Amino acid sequence: MTSQWTLTIPDGLYDRLQAHLFPGDGDEHGAVILAGVTQGPRGTRLLARELHLAADGVDYVPGQRGYRMLKAEFIRDRVLKARNERLVYLAIHNHGGGSQAAFSADDLRSHERGYPALLDITRGMPVGALVFAENAIAGDIWLSRGRRVGLASATIVGRRFQRLWPTLPRSRTIHDPTYDRQARLLGPDGNALLRHLRVGIIGAGGVGSLLVEFLARLGVGTLVVADPDRVDVTNLPRLVGATRWDALATLSDERRPQWMQRLGRRLASTKISLAHRIARRASPSIAFEGIVGDIADADVAQRYLDCDYLFLAADTMQARLVCNAIAHQYLIPGVQIGCKARVNEASGDLEQVFSVVRPLGPGGGCLWCGQLISPARLQQEAETEQERRQQRYVNEAGVVAPSVITLNAVAAAHAANEFLFTVTGLTKPDAERAFARFLPLDRRMVWDESPNDPACPECGPGLNSRYAKGDEVLLPTRSRRAATRWPGLRWLYPRIVSAEQDD
Amino acid sequence: MAPQENYTPAVRRALEELERAFPDSAVIREQDGEGGAHVTVEDVPLGPPYRQTTTWVGFRLGFQYPYADVYPHFVRDDLTRLDGNALGAGLSAGRFREKPATQVSRRSNNLDATNQTAVLKLLKVLDWLRSR
Repeated sequence: MTSQWTLTIPDGLYDRLQAHLFPGDGDEHGAVILAGVTQGPRGTRLLARELHLAADGVDYVPGQRGYRMLKAEFIRDRVLKARNERLVYLAIHNHGGGSQAAFSADDLRSHERGYPALLDITRGMPVGALVFAENAIAGDIWLSRGRRVGLASATIVGRRFQRLWPTLPRSRTIHDPTYDRQARLLGPDGNALLRHLRVGIIGAGGVGSLLVEFLARLGVGTLVVADPDRVDVTNLPRLVGATRWDALATLSDERRPQWMQRLGRRLASTKISLAHRIARRASPSIAFEGIVGDIADADVAQRYLDCDYLFLAADTMQARLVCNAIAHQYLIPGVQIGCKARVNEASGDLEQVFSVVRPLGPGGGCLWCGQLISPARLQQEAETEQERRQQRYVNEAGVVAPSVITLNAVAAAHAANEFLFTVTGLTKPDAERAFARFLPLDRRMVWDESPNDPACPECGPGLNSRYAKGDEVLLPTRSRRAATRWPGLRWLYPRIVSAEQDD
Repeated sequence: MAPQENYTPAVRRALEELERAFPDSAVIREQDGEGGAHVTVEDVPLGPPYRQTTTWVGFRLGFQYPYADVYPHFVRDDLTRLDGNALGAGLSAGRFREKPATQVSRRSNNLDATNQTAVLKLLKVLDWLRSR
């Protein structure tokens, strides 16, 4: 595991901080960020949860040794809050300059005077300082037992994706003629940026398989994809690249004996192996991490915590709850994609068909306070088949999931564009932020409210919310490990990483 | 609660709240293997309009509690009314943990996961049951 430390800042918080630090007076200003923490294979990420602006002349005053300082009372209240809520305290000020940021000698001496005592107060939670230039950031993070690390970079996430460093790194432009036509839209650094991204896709079915194709062809460097299912003959009309051989159609044909049909269903290709094939065909150099498992399982969800972006292409409420939690708890922007049809129960007439693209996480909405996660469906999905048969459920209203590749493609393409233009900085600052709904029968598109309730336990800033808490809070996942039906046959899929193999 | 019992923190809190809310009843729990629990609260007072003076109440706390509804609940299978009438809508024959039971179907349509606990839900169900 690398020891790199980075900071993730939601774009709304960053914009408020920037306005405070750089109001145009050329002077120095102060603030505090309280942050959650998460550790992953790519290092330790601080997650900016709360911003406390220090009022000039009240909280941020002339210093005794340096130019300015935060007043002791201001520091005390925030440090105690950090201790009580298990957050990281980060003191902030700004310097002049555009693309370089560094602490002065006075700054560093003040850290050495004060931070050992702050570490005692926070009972081992890290404390530190950040200094901002207009387009740069430097950080000095103090850890327990005398350890001290610098901040490698910060990433602003939400409706834009922007990186800050202490100094601007060398350009990572990739001159690959394969992506020439794409580079004319994304700019010279766009392809390089995509190559360094780690993108998660939850679900490799009708929508997910399209996303794998799109993202691999765009040149995304790493895909993390989970799906528990195997290919079925009924999937063939909408699974990209799927064949009758994948479904073992000959064995699973309904005219075969039951034992042969069961064998066919159990030996059919996993949707993950199909996704792996699609991705490698589109981009031989792609890093593909496939998981035959359900994101509702803790060890599968863990694989997504280090992603830069998430696509939720699974249609269970359990997946919605976990993905929504990850997006807000770990400040990972993403999008939920779905397609539905409404059928009149009495007449059987098709009333409405729609595809939706719902941005989630920083800069987006929330599926929980948007009432898009049904508590009743969560309960039903947790039941065994036997329990469902034993209980008498009232029939739900006539909402069924269509299985049409063209409807899936509308949503998948819009979601992929949402991702592409966000991460490459092409989305306009005043672009619509609501949820998009496409109504093909009416040939129109509408915007649905994209809520963020301050009292929401998922996206709100409240004391008990999971927002930007990182590893401090458990995800709403199943605690047992994902099961494998045929562990002895894992050799059939040698290049697929499964949750069971990844010890 | 034994440390080796594998419940999510939310389910663990709910079990403790149930024990506090029903101090005169045994709260029997069984792990479901996913972080949730099958719960039976014994000897819950009942009485009119029913012939029986007490009942057991069974339900499941899923691993995604409190986001998931706690539904349905189950009570004794021989539940009968003093007036001899049928039990009525919302009550039907079912099974809980392979045991014959009367299923009480009271779904929470507007669930506030921050406020509606398993105890509150059970008290609402019992209140509804006694008001039939």
